[in-house]
Amino acid sequence: MPDISPTAVIALIAEHHIVESDGPLTPDSDLFAQGLDSLAMMQLMLHLEREFGVRITPTEMTRNHFATATILARWLSHPNRSAA
Amino acid sequence: MNLEADVIVAGGGSAGLAAALASARAGARTLLLERQAMLGGMGTHALVHTFCGLFHPDVSLPWAWLNPGISVEIGQAMMERTNQSAPDLMGKVYVLRQHPSLYAQIADDLCRAEPHLTLLTGCEWTALRQEEAGWHLETFTRGAQKRLRCKALIDTTGDATGARLLNPDWCQQTEGGKLYRPAYISAFHGIQGRHDDAWRLTIGAMIVRAVRDGLLPQAAMGAAFRDSPFAGETFLTVDLEAGQGDWDPFDPMKRARVEQEGREVALGVWQFLVREHADFKHCPPPMLPTKAGIRETARYIGDYVITGDDLAANRRFDDEIALAGWPMEKRENARGPKFRYFDEPKPAGIPALCLYRADAPGLFFAGRCLSADHEALASLRVMGTCMATGEAAGKLAVAHVKSN
Repeated sequence: MPDISPTAVIALIAEHHIVESDGPLTPDSDLFAQGLDSLAMMQLMLHLEREFGVRITPTEMTRNHFATATILARWLSHPNRSAA
Repeated sequence: MNLEADVIVAGGGSAGLAAALASARAGARTLLLERQAMLGGMGTHALVHTFCGLFHPDVSLPWAWLNPGISVEIGQAMMERTNQSAPDLMGKVYVLRQHPSLYAQIADDLCRAEPHLTLLTGCEWTALRQEEAGWHLETFTRGAQKRLRCKALIDTTGDATGARLLNPDWCQQTEGGKLYRPAYISAFHGIQGRHDDAWRLTIGAMIVRAVRDGLLPQAAMGAAFRDSPFAGETFLTVDLEAGQGDWDPFDPMKRARVEQEGREVALGVWQFLVREHADFKHCPPPMLPTKAGIRETARYIGDYVITGDDLAANRRFDDEIALAGWPMEKRENARGPKFRYFDEPKPAGIPALCLYRADAPGLFFAGRCLSADHEALASLRVMGTCMATGEAAGKLAVAHVKSN
């Protein structure tokens, strides 16, 4: 089971320019307020899968799961989630 | 065969329609030239199914029309015929869903009510000359040539065709790599289910994954579905790469490839979803547009070139002829739009100087080829704003005819 930290999620977002925010992202930044739109969510999904070896099904692509780096990391690391 | 008029409007999209109506209603004998078979431009031939730029930009307030006149008339007619009582709030903007077939019908109804307005379709504009008394145009209709004369000419071709025919120094064009990408819109029928935000994200994720796995072309990456105002119909929009830096909207071979790319994506997405998603199981192939929606080609350099910074700063002008309210919706690649909103949720003005140049008396331009920089165009090109600048150009043209 991958152990994914909010910092690792933030690093991934920054590395691939997923959002163009003015200041640095924090683990609890509202990603949608920082410019995450549906297309950017899709890009992030692909990068998360590649980087952390997780599998995100299309029906799991909800705004709740992508609200902040902390929520995203916690959800992806949850033991009930099946890995890729 | 020769024809004479007070005012000729070249191009029957949203700007040209409004320009011709304004001109004819002011009593000028008006000819409206259109190359295709229908009026409405992007809103009919390219299946662009939302009227943007019709409303005040402050969404903390109840919706309100931005420019009085023909844009309101068309917006209200569309609301009646589509049974909508208000626009949709989409993020930070109000938009009105419109139906391409009904837009063509509304345009016909409005034009047929004007005795001074004559519509010519199937009419390709091939030459322009400046004369003492005004302007001389040549057109071709299936090999048959026509000569047309007018006192005032309004270029609403979207491509600055008049400048390109007579004096290319009068127009400017952004380099190919930065030109806003063409949209390709097709109409799906019979998709089951409820098409809410969660549904759109699920479909989006399926498409993105299929692109990554090589099952769909790269251009499908930003594919988005939006329901028509009528049940059972859903529009699919994709932004095409169009060869990115290689894109040239005036090259017919590249245009052919863009149209092929659009069809490949639309039908590829259809085949994929029919196979992979239960809601699409019984969908027939989508109806294709007459042509891709080309957002940017060439535009005039008028006596003022309005800029993105003018709009962002909500700048107002003493000679303004219309208001802009749509954010700068920049689509420089196929990964979706980047928005630059105005600093304040208030309108910005568009000065009359953007619709003419003093060294070409009697020539006016409006719609997508008015005088604006690349960034400002991203706001001013939308249909609601085109109606407003078109109407203003129609009035300026009539004033020119009366004063000469």
